[in-house]
Amino acid sequence: MANQYVDMDSLKYLLYDIHGFEDVLNQEHFADYDREAVDMFLTSVKDFSDQKLYPTFQDMDKHAARFEDGKIIVPPVVETVMKEGGELGLISACFSFEDGGLQMPLTAMTAAYYIMDAANNHLPGYLGLTQGAAELIVEFGSEELKAKYTPKMLTGDWAGTMCLTEPQAGSSLSDITTSATPSDDGSYKIKGQKIFISGGDHEYVDNVVHLVLARIDGAPAGTKGISLFVVPKNKIQDDASLTSNDVITAGDFQKMGQKGYCTTHLIFGEQDDCQGWLVGEPNQGLKYMFLMMNGARIAVGRGGAGICTAAYYASLEYAKERPQGRRLSAKGTKDVNQEQTLIINHPDVRRMLLLQKAISEGSLSLVTLTSIYADLYQTVTDPEEKEKYYLLLELLTPICKTYPSEDGMRSINNGLQVLGGYGFCSEYILQQYYRDIRIFSIYEGTTGIQSLDLLGRKVAMKGGKALMLLANEMKETMKDASTYDDLKPYAAKLGAKLQLTQDVLGHLSQFAMKGDYERYIADATIFMEFFSKVVISWLWLQMATHSKHALVTANMDYSEEFYNAKIHTMKFYFKYELSRTSSLAEILKDQDVLTIPNEEEVFA
Amino acid sequence: MKILVCVSKAPDTTTKIAFNADGTALNKDGVQYIMNPYDEWYALVRALELKEAAGGSVTIINVGPKENDTVIRKGLAIGADNAVRINSNGGSAMYIAKQIAEYAKGESFDVVITGKETIDENRSEVGAMLAEFLDMPFISYASKMDVAGNTATIDRDIEGGTETVEVDTPFVLSAAKGLAEQRIPNMRGIMMAKRKPLNVVEAVAFDDLVVPVHYELPPAKSAVKLVDPENMDELVRLLHEEAKAL
Ligand SMILES: Cc1cc2nc3c(=O)[nH]c(=O)nc-3n(C[C@H](O)[C@H](O)[C@H](O)COP(=O)(O)OP(=O)(O)OC[C@H]3O[C@@H](n4cnc5c(N)ncnc54)[C@H](O)[C@@H]3O)c2cc1C
Repeated sequence: MANQYVDMDSLKYLLYDIHGFEDVLNQEHFADYDREAVDMFLTSVKDFSDQKLYPTFQDMDKHAARFEDGKIIVPPVVETVMKEGGELGLISACFSFEDGGLQMPLTAMTAAYYIMDAANNHLPGYLGLTQGAAELIVEFGSEELKAKYTPKMLTGDWAGTMCLTEPQAGSSLSDITTSATPSDDGSYKIKGQKIFISGGDHEYVDNVVHLVLARIDGAPAGTKGISLFVVPKNKIQDDASLTSNDVITAGDFQKMGQKGYCTTHLIFGEQDDCQGWLVGEPNQGLKYMFLMMNGARIAVGRGGAGICTAAYYASLEYAKERPQGRRLSAKGTKDVNQEQTLIINHPDVRRMLLLQKAISEGSLSLVTLTSIYADLYQTVTDPEEKEKYYLLLELLTPICKTYPSEDGMRSINNGLQVLGGYGFCSEYILQQYYRDIRIFSIYEGTTGIQSLDLLGRKVAMKGGKALMLLANEMKETMKDASTYDDLKPYAAKLGAKLQLTQDVLGHLSQFAMKGDYERYIADATIFMEFFSKVVISWLWLQMATHSKHALVTANMDYSEEFYNAKIHTMKFYFKYELSRTSSLAEILKDQDVLTIPNEEEVFA
Repeated sequence: MKILVCVSKAPDTTTKIAFNADGTALNKDGVQYIMNPYDEWYALVRALELKEAAGGSVTIINVGPKENDTVIRKGLAIGADNAVRINSNGGSAMYIAKQIAEYAKGESFDVVITGKETIDENRSEVGAMLAEFLDMPFISYASKMDVAGNTATIDRDIEGGTETVEVDTPFVLSAAKGLAEQRIPNMRGIMMAKRKPLNVVEAVAFDDLVVPVHYELPPAKSAVKLVDPENMDELVRLLHEEAKAL
């Protein structure tokens, strides 16, 4: 395992210097926070990760969660994480003071979880899902439900899950069939199966509180008839003791990665004795879930960013130690009598490492900014400002979920290549990162679904206002960058790509206007890839401009090399990644229609 | 039991150490500071454990400038009840010990704990000098301490083994590894820390007797490679391919 899995300086640089997190801390709602408190919390989480998470990372892969004698067995560190993580505030801190929390900004929590994701991505989900499930109860549940369930969830004594997926209903939740039959006492009898339920059961908590999507008998078909229920594994008796609630764990899915994070198959009401309690109003379940979805999607992007960061440092350490081959002399020859050079001196290896750096820090920048928009949307009071942050958050969320997951995979793929044959071997950690990150583009809505959301809904939202607001932000950066002669060409290149985005959308929207929505949306994933690169280029230009300013004014909180490396990586991203948008645009504007099904058999 | 814990700050262990041009002081550019681990992990935590078991209070004290408040607040976040900073730009160990003694004299602490050393210069001087100024017994390198009534039983690390001693309060103790286990401050503690008293007291005049004249770094070590004990194949490969020892 590598010595380093995260760079706290880069994290703080993005938080405070690039994305102005102190503006968030200055909001009335966060009056109890300042930079010192947030930094101290991040140090605590780093210490916790160093001591408890990172040392167990490899082991969790070797000793995967499993189903034995009707029970899910997970590594014992899960207990440590629930108890000590709960105590640190990693479940409760973002809740309001009235709800037992500490009113911490989401951005601070995102930064904290990013450290844990980088240290050991198998573990944060146990805490994060408990937080998410408690949030649904707090946000939409009755006072009684809140009082009964959330205190023990916030401490980590009980866990929480999100039960959406069923064997026949994954991307399309409108097909959910789990049923809820009203009982005389106001509760519901729940019956059905849920699959792929993360953190669904284990021995290290006394209870698991499932937030289950189900249909009340007679509810309308489709998404309009889905309600949300609290369904605990164990019911709470009047004397506060717990008794089984007919929630049976039928298995644990064995996976290629994230093996220590159990993924369960749950059966509700096999004995007809599973009680659930409605959260909020009937038939509003999916709406409630979606209101919480931005946070969950930011969390997935954050995880992708964390894993590819850790992989980058592992590759970098290896490349600095591994001697192999020799550099070419000016004459194009190699002197075999010379000592071997370290592989970090080969241009192709440097390209791969720079790609890793560019993607991992670019992803972290995106995740940080999206969290900041979420905090500002929640706390600003001016309606116009609120709308601005809402639209920016909505537009960036699918990209924030997708880019770190998709390009994170590419980044780790290159990182594995840096290790050559050892990269393929189990003793080296790169192959584990490579397997672990694979799930991030699947759960919480696949890349395909995120791309439909981006092109189908977000780009067109409020007559394109979200996109216009984002373009304005980009133009601000281009203006700032243009004050430095050596950054001008990069600002101009980004401007041209913004224009190209308009061209592409102009081309695609013809189909939407003609009512040919399938054609409009058919290459949504290519558009996601295209637009993500434009967004990440913007974020790198922000970093380069800030770094340039720090160097020129000699107002430096970090070393000179730190700032120079940011500028260099921006240039790298523009040359090696932003340039690729030209061919993606060509695909998007191509007239051939090759993927929409018609009578032709193309898989013959 | 009324306990005083002396805390210093030290450069983060990952800091690349450099000195100013004439070699008389550390170059502080870009250096990040932490609370000295012997103070934080062992001295403070054992003090808190004693307080939790028998009641009383834990005060932390630092001699230094305003920037040190961040380190002090970490101590409060971990659980100290209040803090004192002697406002000063610091000085030799004797200067620091004198300042702490001046404050502690009037406060009748039962136990005064320092770390066994600060990890920047590892001189282990303040505790002993402080005990002398306070006219109290001094027990160095304590790796275990139990207190019953007014008597403490303390294990000291000595060359090749352990010595167990008994001492009555009040006394000064320097904390070594083993005395307690690190406590990581949680968010609630961090928020509460801001509301706990941090009193700033002006330093008393004291002419330093020792002045640093020159610092020099040790010669650079040749690189070592650490191989995971599980990874014998890699060790064999390195011995074979790089050390050419096989
Ligand atoms: C490890 C793991 C953990 C999980 N944790 C949870 C959890 O805690 N709770 C929970 O409820 N679920 C969980 N899931 C389920 C996860 O969210 C779903 O697997 C995911 O939403 C995809 O659904 P599916 O597997 O049914 O695939 P499908 O929906 O069958 O998708 C298959 C393919 O078809 C594409 N596709 C589907 N519909 C469309 C469309 N309309 N347009 C274009 N393309 C489409 C998809 O993009 C995908 O490429 C987890 C899954 C895994 C593997």
